Amino acid sequence: MKTKRIPAFLATIGMALLVAAPLAAQLKSPDDVKTALRLLVQVSNDFKRQITNKNFARVPHENMEYMEAAEALRGAVKDEPAAFKSKVEARLKAALAAYQKISDMSATTPDADKLMAEHAKAVTAMNALFDLFPADLRPDPNTPPGGRGRGPAPATN
Amino acid sequence: MLALLLGCGPKPKPEPQVVDLYIASDGDFLDFVPDTLTVRTGARVCLTFHHAGKIISARHDWVLTYPGKLDALTKDCLDLDGILPQGDPLVLARTPLCDKGQTVMVEFIAPRPGDYPFVCATHPEDMRGVLHVTS
Repeated sequence: MKTKRIPAFLATIGMALLVAAPLAAQLKSPDDVKTALRLLVQVSNDFKRQITNKNFARVPHENMEYMEAAEALRGAVKDEPAAFKSKVEARLKAALAAYQKISDMSATTPDADKLMAEHAKAVTAMNALFDLFPADLRPDPNTPPGGRGRGPAPATN
Repeated sequence: MLALLLGCGPKPKPEPQVVDLYIASDGDFLDFVPDTLTVRTGARVCLTFHHAGKIISARHDWVLTYPGKLDALTKDCLDLDGILPQGDPLVLARTPLCDKGQTVMVEFIAPRPGDYPFVCATHPEDMRGVLHVTS
């Protein structure tokens, strides 16, 4: 019985991949999408750093940068079908609202623990946005930015 | 007599070698391209930094410090939000901060041989590199 289920399971995965692959191939500007998604993660990491360093005054600036990255994503999908664009817009708005909340709270409730909890929620909202895009275009929101801990720079210190 | 005068006078100091270095941000991403530079000790370095960003309004610069001072400089940059004071003893050379699309320059004499870390003062944990000064 169990062995009969395995081919069915594999067939389901195969079908899912077959459906997803053309979506990836159909994106009009995959490089622009990839850049915008990577920038969203980069700025999200900067939010986290400013909170960790208790540099709350800088958080609104990070929020402005997040909006700039969001605008880049809107530009990257502007030629996509309306149905896809509206899905992206809905999840992007949710992510923007989550980061806006952190920005607002940084002024009214400058508490690193509370802000970090909100940041975790914002990352979840961002992940939901990323789920709309092919895996090969999605950065890992938990990966540190490119320059950290690589290359010879840290070794010289 | 003339030969004596010409031969025995003080020797003029040799002009330092002039070296042009170019470095940029990796577009809007927090990396230097290239992240390693090499120059000979004593050279007069003319370094040009280009902020190649087009999307994000973050400001960048290029700040050179001494071997072994990367952590201290990083801490200062974070504590001071990237605005380092004039005459900061940790800073060997630096460009002004610049906005996306802008280019800035700095001139300095390459110090004694060694590996000198550099950072962007506003993103010191991400934008890093090394200036190799050779003998």
